[in-house]
Amino acid sequence: MDDPKGIGSGGKPNETAAVKDLSVYVPEARRRPGELGITVITFIIGALGYYFALGMTSGEFSSPSVFPKLASTVIMVCSAVNFRKAVKRERPEESDSSVVHYLLPRDVVVMLSLLVIYCFALPQIRFIASSYAFMVAGMIYLQRGKNIVRALLISAASLAVLVVIFRYLFLVILP
Amino acid sequence: MEQNLQYFLIPFLHWEMMLLIWIGVFAGIWVGAIPGLSVTMAASLLISFTFSWDLNNALALICGVFVGGVYGGSITAILLNIPGAPAAIATGIEGYPLAQLGEAGKAIGLCTTVSVFASFVGIVVLAVAAPVIANFSLKFSPRDFFLLAVMGLLLIGSIGGGDPVKGITAGAVGVLLSMVGMDPSTGELRYTFGNIYLMAGISFVTAMIGLFGVSEALTQFRSAGKQSPKQNLDKIIPNWETFIRFLPLSIRSSLLGVFIGALPGTGGDVAALLAYDQAKRSVRNPSRPFGTGAYEGIVAPETANKGAIGGAFIPMLTLGIPGDAVTAIIIGALFIHGLKPGPMLMIETPHLFWMIVSCLSIASVALMVLGLVSVKPFARIIDIPKSIIMPVVIILSVIGTYAIQNSVVDIFYMIGFGIIGYFMRLYGYATGPMVLGLILGPMLDANYRRAMQGAENQLIPFLQGFVTNPISLVLTLSIVFLVFSQTKTYRRWRGLS
Repeated sequence: MDDPKGIGSGGKPNETAAVKDLSVYVPEARRRPGELGITVITFIIGALGYYFALGMTSGEFSSPSVFPKLASTVIMVCSAVNFRKAVKRERPEESDSSVVHYLLPRDVVVMLSLLVIYCFALPQIRFIASSYAFMVAGMIYLQRGKNIVRALLISAASLAVLVVIFRYLFLVILP
Repeated sequence: MEQNLQYFLIPFLHWEMMLLIWIGVFAGIWVGAIPGLSVTMAASLLISFTFSWDLNNALALICGVFVGGVYGGSITAILLNIPGAPAAIATGIEGYPLAQLGEAGKAIGLCTTVSVFASFVGIVVLAVAAPVIANFSLKFSPRDFFLLAVMGLLLIGSIGGGDPVKGITAGAVGVLLSMVGMDPSTGELRYTFGNIYLMAGISFVTAMIGLFGVSEALTQFRSAGKQSPKQNLDKIIPNWETFIRFLPLSIRSSLLGVFIGALPGTGGDVAALLAYDQAKRSVRNPSRPFGTGAYEGIVAPETANKGAIGGAFIPMLTLGIPGDAVTAIIIGALFIHGLKPGPMLMIETPHLFWMIVSCLSIASVALMVLGLVSVKPFARIIDIPKSIIMPVVIILSVIGTYAIQNSVVDIFYMIGFGIIGYFMRLYGYATGPMVLGLILGPMLDANYRRAMQGAENQLIPFLQGFVTNPISLVLTLSIVFLVFSQTKTYRRWRGLS
């Protein structure tokens, strides 16, 4: 098929080979660290969902508990299937990092901590001060302590633009 | 006829209306691009300060914002994998991989062109067939809306991205979360545990911002030092051959969008997802495999959500029933200005119908110009280092979430969903199905129960309705086909990969 100039790779073999075809699902050979734990957690979510749905009005086909029970059952069944599939796959390689390190590498832990601190600070010191502190701290950390002045200036400029646009132009109430 | 033409020309003859439409489109593009800042919110804000204006000017501005806002949602979906609105979720599935291949400019250019085409399809259908479609959409019963929601849930296979069972798990968790809060039909509290914040339920927009925006930022922090690919911005406007190639798909998806948009309670989000799914099933030779940057996966949802704009106006102008949230706000504006939206609106104030058709047409032209002018500045966003852009994305997510109902608690929900989404991504659970479950859960629950109550809680009459009612039968057969089309037998038969 002729590929129109400039759009897509069509039949170009080099690019088609380079991209993974996601339209066909190919299971991974090894399970990821902690994958079994996730299936157990989703099963517990389904079980709790069903347990609490038992307390809702039921007895008729149109009761409020019908869909909560149905969704919970689907979660439990799917979690069991996911667990079985994960067990069938090979264990993670010995060289793979631990579950905690796989889930939360240092950069993610630091940024997540900053994010949580920012959210708690937001109602206390208001939007402008907390957002500025979050942006400066985040940018300085992600740039490994380099370009501190640049981070201070970019954060100030970005925040000024955001406040002007949202507060004064779009009349959005800021936290 | 001559009089209708005169009404149609009103915005062309008043420069202030023309200017307001262009301003509306420009503002809409930027508002729509920010996750959480929705077209609905922009329209409701505008209504509040256009009370004292002339109605024509107010409608001109809102039509501009509507068209621009629906388009804007796709920009961040393509560039950052963070949809500005639920209607852009499907666009991000193919758009973001394209940005990763350095083709964000072309993707946004194509998105702009087909969006304008689809807007015009919606407008033409609105102008020509509004009363017919409006009457047909009224024939939809709760059972049919239930079937439509089931059809939507079948999209999990399309937007799940990987393991279908993991997709179904995520979708079911989304449906379960959508049950949180006060049951709208009985007032019974479900999964609230005595917490007053949970009584209002979980906003799917808050969940969407967390699951897409914050989780994307957290995932990017795993590779913060990695430079984004250089974007090719030489040829952003698709050539004629490209446009013709995508024309059949554009027409199909636009018409699907118009129809879904015309159904009360459903809008561009459902239309875009359904269109993406039908493209994935029907396109034999996509430009790339779906999921890796297929342009067809941008064309279908973009044309559907733009077609849905014209569609949403159909029941509003002909019957006084809103097609979606924005048209519901416009109905409010009409009341404030002393008009009575309803079946008599087109008879008593025919100028209003033709003026809205005209405003939407001008807005579509403005979208073409402003959208294409904005491609290069937007595409440059990707070149900004992640260490700078990601903290700004988080601040934008916070602003967008807070703006929904001015609640700090929503920000915590959003962060919570962000963390859940981050873990989901690490274990191959796509976040799209969870948002889909949150969107469709209330529609499924409410319409199933209404239909069941209509059948007096008897299973046999309820099930009989699926085959005895013509609309339900067509929808049931469509669902059977959708399920069958996912089987290997069908794919082999159709020669699909």
